[in-house]
Amino acid sequence: MKLKKKLCVMLLLLIMLPLNACGDQRVLEDLGLIQTVSYDLLPSGQLDISVSIPQADPETTSQREVLSASANSSKEAKMMMSRKTGMLLVSGQIRNVLFGESLARSGLKGHLDALIRDPSISSQIKISVVDGNAGELLRDNYAQHPRTGRYIDMLLEKESQGQTIPKVTLFNFQRDYFDEGVDPIAPLIRRQDSSYVTTNGIALFRDDKHVARIEPKDSLVFAFLKGKFREGEISIDLTAPGESKEIVMFSSITSSRKIKVSQGTDGAKKIKIEVNITGSVLEYLGDLRLSDERERKLLEHRVSQYIHKRADAIIGLMKENKLDNLGIGRYVRNRVGFKQWQKMKWREEIPKLQVESSIHVKIKDYGKFR
Amino acid sequence: MLREKLSQFHTMILIYMIQTGVYVFSIAQNEAQFFGTNGWLSVIPISILVCLNIYLISIVYRLGEGRSIFDILEQSIPKFILVPFYLAISLVWSLIGCLVAKQYVLIFQMFAFPTTNPMVFKFFIDVLAFLLLTKGLYNISKASTVFFWSTIWLNLLMLYYVGEFKLERLTPYVFQDGGNMVEGFFQIYLAYLGYELCMLLFPYADKKTKLMKAALYGHLIRTASYVIMSFVSFGVIGHELLKQMLFPLLDLLAYIKLPFIERIENLFYGFFLFTTVITLVMYFWAAGESTRRVFPRIKINVHYFCITLVAFMLSFIPKVLDTIRDWIMILGYIQMGFAYVMPLLLIILLLMQRRKKAV
Repeated sequence: MKLKKKLCVMLLLLIMLPLNACGDQRVLEDLGLIQTVSYDLLPSGQLDISVSIPQADPETTSQREVLSASANSSKEAKMMMSRKTGMLLVSGQIRNVLFGESLARSGLKGHLDALIRDPSISSQIKISVVDGNAGELLRDNYAQHPRTGRYIDMLLEKESQGQTIPKVTLFNFQRDYFDEGVDPIAPLIRRQDSSYVTTNGIALFRDDKHVARIEPKDSLVFAFLKGKFREGEISIDLTAPGESKEIVMFSSITSSRKIKVSQGTDGAKKIKIEVNITGSVLEYLGDLRLSDERERKLLEHRVSQYIHKRADAIIGLMKENKLDNLGIGRYVRNRVGFKQWQKMKWREEIPKLQVESSIHVKIKDYGKFR
Repeated sequence: MLREKLSQFHTMILIYMIQTGVYVFSIAQNEAQFFGTNGWLSVIPISILVCLNIYLISIVYRLGEGRSIFDILEQSIPKFILVPFYLAISLVWSLIGCLVAKQYVLIFQMFAFPTTNPMVFKFFIDVLAFLLLTKGLYNISKASTVFFWSTIWLNLLMLYYVGEFKLERLTPYVFQDGGNMVEGFFQIYLAYLGYELCMLLFPYADKKTKLMKAALYGHLIRTASYVIMSFVSFGVIGHELLKQMLFPLLDLLAYIKLPFIERIENLFYGFFLFTTVITLVMYFWAAGESTRRVFPRIKINVHYFCITLVAFMLSFIPKVLDTIRDWIMILGYIQMGFAYVMPLLLIILLLMQRRKKAV
């Protein structure tokens, strides 16, 4: 009797199961899993949106499918693109979002909202800004790097490990956007002819608008100021004008940063940024002997001086544009008292800040040669 | 009738599992919205209040010497007053159960099968719940232990965020930039509800169970898990962004990804079905305990069947996630009232009964 009852229930469940799957069927072969999306702002005010979808169909020769559409919103564009393909476009596997410079400069707010709101889109997708036109970069095929979408993804992933660009996900970006004590950043990439894509420094945002940039040669200095990291490389040209060449390559860098806030003169805040950098020298062109402690200390000092100068330039740039991409505001907020912080117009305070950076460089080792 | 009594360990886990519902996904948002900076601290005083409530219930347990609360009520209050009360409270309980399940389904549908009729999923969950109910309380408690082990490890995932955690994001300020803290208090309290069902467990426990201690420990596990989760959320996400998120826990889980596949957090969401099923089953069970007092001659499985069916029918009505949240809130307030008024009433009755006996 009991067995019979159990069988009945099983049978019922078995009948119900296929009924259940009818509505929302997803057959993997029929899905267009969007990997990369690009957004550009057209002069007409419309959005130019492109998507890149890796091809799984063995019968086609192409490695990926690229679709484009111009529309007023990203979801509308998706519907238009969907009309051009036999596959069902889904956003669950998006890895990268590229924003064209024009759009980034006019503000990303609404477009980010569309990405955040959609539960099918992961909050871990990478955000980057393209120097120039994002659609062109994505639509192009690079002969040496088949499948542009994957190429960009791998490039961003690897470069962010070496700190030449920051790793910025949708989550990081919106967190910095909502936090009043810090402004967001995003990596910049650029198309070099039709042959390759390269990273091109860091885009600095004021709220949701891209306003300034850090050049590629300074991006590691920016990383020093931004926070703690392990693993990085920097090549420093110490050549003084009119003297022989002196270049040092600093590798396997680990760096930590501290920010101290105190009351400065004229009511402005005094900020002290302390950076400790340790690394190995694997390439050195110059006259100093690294095995001599005194001369090595001299080199450390000169490298610190160099980084100090670049750091001051970066801080100057941010003060000039009223930006706080380093997150100094968070430390000020935690220091001054919450009521005071709310009263303070932080953005207006930035140019008045007295920022002082102190950089300590330590050469951990200098390879296997004296 | 001889039946197995609950063990202390199973009871502890049962209480924890009843408390764990869909609320885990959104509690950090509530903390940020109503309490602002360091809102995660708010779960601690509220948890202490719950502990006091459990203490209150333990007085009833001691004074009543383990008698069922229904027996105590019926001894002093005429049945015609109690019958409507029993029916009303069982309606509240079955509604809480079915709405929690429906809320789970609707959230689930944001990620998967968005256009399938939610009631299809609801039906399957209810079938599962009914099958579990017919096995009796002892087996429910054993099943919940299995489910417990399949979900508790998710807490370890919080270690994953050590790299992203920033102390300066926590800020040194406590409860600044928040909203209406009184409302917040009730909202967070709702996240703890479920422990009050231990009042119905009296006749199923014996001395060895140490029922009230078990309830307290279960609640403390829940508290610890809330504290860790909220602390991590505030340090990783920050209170400003938390205010904007509906389900911060899901975004946290999104951090975990494997190189070949994204979005495994959606699989994790499935694990929470276990905790939801236990919540649902226990509220239905409680409703059954109450209705069998009114219709003692009907077989208990028929009670459960009717409760599941009525609850299933009622859950057709709310269709929107926000409506369900409002309903659950109202029912939660009623339940909070029950959690405090009932033990007080019982203590008074017990004292009166004791006096009568003495005379």
